[in-house]
Amino acid sequence: MKTVALTRHRHEQSTLTQHRAGRAAKGSAPHGPRRNNVAGYLYVAPAVLVVVGIVYFAIVYTLRISVLDWDGLSPDPVAVGLDNYVRLVEDAVFWRSLGHMAMFALAVLVQMALGLGFAILLHSGVRAKTLYKVLLFLPVVLAPAVMAPVFRQIFDADGQLNTMLRAVGLDALAHPWLADPSTALYALITINVWQWTGFSFVLYYAGLTQVDASLIEAARIDGAGNWRVISSLLIPLTRGTTVTLAILGVIGTIKTFDIPYLVTGGGPARSTEVLATYLYQQGITDFHVGYGAALTVVLMIMSLVLTVSQVRRFKLGSEA
Amino acid sequence: MLEIRGAAGRVATQLLITVLVAPFVFPLWSMLQGSLAGDGLGNYSSVLGLPQLPAFFRNSLLIAVCTVVLVYASTMLASFALAKLPFVGKEVLFYVLLLALTMPSAALTVPLFITVQRLGLLDSFVAVILPLTALAIPLNVLLARGFIAALPDELFEAARLDGCGTLRTFWHLVLPLIRPISAVVVVWTFVGAWNEYLLPLLFLQSPTNQTITQLPQFFSTQYGSDQTKIIAGAVIITLPTVIVYLALQKLFERGLTAGAIK
Repeated sequence: MKTVALTRHRHEQSTLTQHRAGRAAKGSAPHGPRRNNVAGYLYVAPAVLVVVGIVYFAIVYTLRISVLDWDGLSPDPVAVGLDNYVRLVEDAVFWRSLGHMAMFALAVLVQMALGLGFAILLHSGVRAKTLYKVLLFLPVVLAPAVMAPVFRQIFDADGQLNTMLRAVGLDALAHPWLADPSTALYALITINVWQWTGFSFVLYYAGLTQVDASLIEAARIDGAGNWRVISSLLIPLTRGTTVTLAILGVIGTIKTFDIPYLVTGGGPARSTEVLATYLYQQGITDFHVGYGAALTVVLMIMSLVLTVSQVRRFKLGSEA
Repeated sequence: MLEIRGAAGRVATQLLITVLVAPFVFPLWSMLQGSLAGDGLGNYSSVLGLPQLPAFFRNSLLIAVCTVVLVYASTMLASFALAKLPFVGKEVLFYVLLLALTMPSAALTVPLFITVQRLGLLDSFVAVILPLTALAIPLNVLLARGFIAALPDELFEAARLDGCGTLRTFWHLVLPLIRPISAVVVVWTFVGAWNEYLLPLLFLQSPTNQTITQLPQFFSTQYGSDQTKIIAGAVIITLPTVIVYLALQKLFERGLTAGAIK
């Protein structure tokens, strides 16, 4: 995979140099795409207008609202300076929701380990490969919102999970998973792992396709066993995929809304609240628009930090 | 990759992967089982008999198709210009577009809710389609720009010498050549819009305008605590996605790898 991107980029580089040389040589070709091509602005305009009109507008407007005490309706909101931010720093629910997001992010490691494991196994001559691939990947395309009632039922006190546990004699483990604040978050994280493992799997699977078989053969001749091949060859050789998945996993974490909102509503006792559900509750349900906006600013900052890391990685990756 | 010796080893590996995949199938199996509890297939006929059902699908389809068209057109036009046309400030415009690369729709809820309300656009599809489009453009531009940049410059040079303007070059040269990446853009933008929950929840409030992701809640109001019908509804909503995925399986996977590499 990486090689594809690299050659692609080298090509881009060399064409760029040709491009510059061509421009210097031909100088003033009339109407040619060598000069400042004004049409370029027209082509970029629709995309820029939509993104600036919505995303940039939202950022600026959120900053503006975040210094108000406002219900979103009254014609004269009160300017309160940084009060909303002070309140945020002192708000235990806000910090707890960040903590829950950190747990979601940590669970990405589980997804990745499972994904890599499945990818290695399915590269090892297993029969009916496509069937396993389809079953693993299917959750990725299903709408979390639609799966939510299914999971509410599965984790219910009388749900299928407990029925199954009782059937195999593990009655002691049966538990009202979602109603207990100490287990609800783990139940949601399990749903997340269920949904995204297929994603990690497909990327690792593609990454492993690129691994040179002769490397593995050479290692075998040198007496390396399976574990050695995995730890000294396969894991280091898929490092690029691992980093990509880690970043995408964190991005996924800041997008988490549907599952907590629909499965537990952030409860019980706020034990599954994440930033997105909390700001929805504050800003939309409870009409604390100013405070909701301050919470939104935190989410926006997280997103911008991630964007910068993604873009930098994109640039570094293509210069390597 | 792994060395598996003998028939026993192969059977053991097959068994291992089956046991490991089973938990991933468990929710789907529970879903089918739950949907058939109580009235059995009667749950399905009851849900399918709801006169409101087609409207949910129609709304989702309309929103997803409009989003795909807008994203596709704006992404490809912008990517072409950013990859192949020289103009001042193009790097800056590229970064302007990338800013929203990881913006979650939750970050738009508060500001857009107030704005949409003021503009009187509550309950209109535009209020869902435009934000979806804005959030989808950055990643797709990143993908498509890289793809177009990799096309040989000689082609564009030849087109120019033949007297092709930029619009004809775009139409006759770029669009046919970018089919592989186009498919990826279309499929994943569609899935994203089809599965979106938050924006329709915010903006589409009358039941006739809602989308399939809001169906489970609609069923809750219809059937109260009769979970079996709600789950049967979930199966019905999920089925088209499953069929499309099975039909286009390769395409979905290619899209993922293309998106993740760079």
